[in-house]
Amino acid sequence: MKRWRAGALGLAVATLLQACVAGGGGYYEGGGGAEVNYGADFYEPYGYEYGGWGPGYWVGPPRRGDHRPERGNDHGGGGAPAYRPAAPSRAMPSLPSGQRRR
Amino acid sequence: MPQTSSSTRAPLVHALLAVLLGVGFAAPLAAAPVPLPPLNQPPTSEHHVGKVIWVDLVTPDLAASKRFYAGLFQWTYSEIHSRSTDYALAMLNGHPVCGIVQRTPPAGERRQPAWLTFIAATDVDATQQRVLQHGGQVLFAPHAYPQRGRQAVFTDPQGAVFAVLASSSGDPPDILALPGEWIWSSLIARDPGGDAAFYQSLFGYEVFESPNGDGSEHLILSTEDYARASVNGLPEDHHHPHWLNFVRVLDTVQMSTTVTQLGGRVLVEPRLDRHGGRVAVVADPSGAPFGLLEWPESESKEGMQ
Repeated sequence: MKRWRAGALGLAVATLLQACVAGGGGYYEGGGGAEVNYGADFYEPYGYEYGGWGPGYWVGPPRRGDHRPERGNDHGGGGAPAYRPAAPSRAMPSLPSGQRRR
Repeated sequence: MPQTSSSTRAPLVHALLAVLLGVGFAAPLAAAPVPLPPLNQPPTSEHHVGKVIWVDLVTPDLAASKRFYAGLFQWTYSEIHSRSTDYALAMLNGHPVCGIVQRTPPAGERRQPAWLTFIAATDVDATQQRVLQHGGQVLFAPHAYPQRGRQAVFTDPQGAVFAVLASSSGDPPDILALPGEWIWSSLIARDPGGDAAFYQSLFGYEVFESPNGDGSEHLILSTEDYARASVNGLPEDHHHPHWLNFVRVLDTVQMSTTVTQLGGRVLVEPRLDRHGGRVAVVADPSGAPFGLLEWPESESKEGMQ
């Protein structure tokens, strides 16, 4: 009988511990309980700074077929870039132009 | 010392065991994930690795955020409330656009509400391995949400936060965004070339150099012959690498005015961009920044002139 009690107690504790692990997650956990929370609800460090965008500071998408500069390996300050550039034969991509099907 | 007999102790032990077993078995049943909605309804089998397929805003005031974006873009909402999460699914013309989640900021800390960028992947766990191999960090390990899919949150090696999602209902189709929908994303990075290499290792992007008018580095990330995002250098004296997402609008000047009327702020005044349309950067009343971008119905060069 004592062995049964010890086994049941062990099972209960193990199950409880597993439940605690399953319910975790999130680097800033605003919620509570055993629910697997949303997890992606973060706040960034305070103080976004904007400005300093000069007239030639462009962020938008290119138009299809826009000119590609022939810079080869001359990557700004010289040397090969850290990324693999698209093949020279590839045309500048743009946004999709299709419409949603109704 | 009085001795407790085993016959007296037994009911107590049995009761304790019953409580432990009950709690132990009930807890995992309660550990269901937040019921996040699917990206596509009905589901599809479309997948576009490397495409920005979703954004979620975290805000301290869900009601205020809903009012602001409804006033600006005519979004409507469907709400999801669970034990730990208050979430609003924003829709335009019946199509899901993005999500808004409410969280109380950590006590005593000044934090910045932000839109979180979700990039499509087919295997979030494999992506996590590559993130770690290439110098990124894990903020939220992969978790599955049955309707939404499997997602995780990372930082790139320069500190910009992004999420990866393997959508269980397929990815949104490659079509031109309507006004009021998200159309473009820019990564503002300390070292654009280094970050482009990092994301290329995760998503297999083709990377195009694109001449910027001021000589600064401007890269275009592409998959499936579509431009997915740009990578730009942080302007001087700016220190916070981040993703910035843009909503398509017909008139950035008019929309910027509406932003201020609704309690937001204009961070970068409307200005001409490389494609000939205007862009602006604004913040909602909670301070979360996002972009406004004009884009023509026709993408031809003549269409912008």
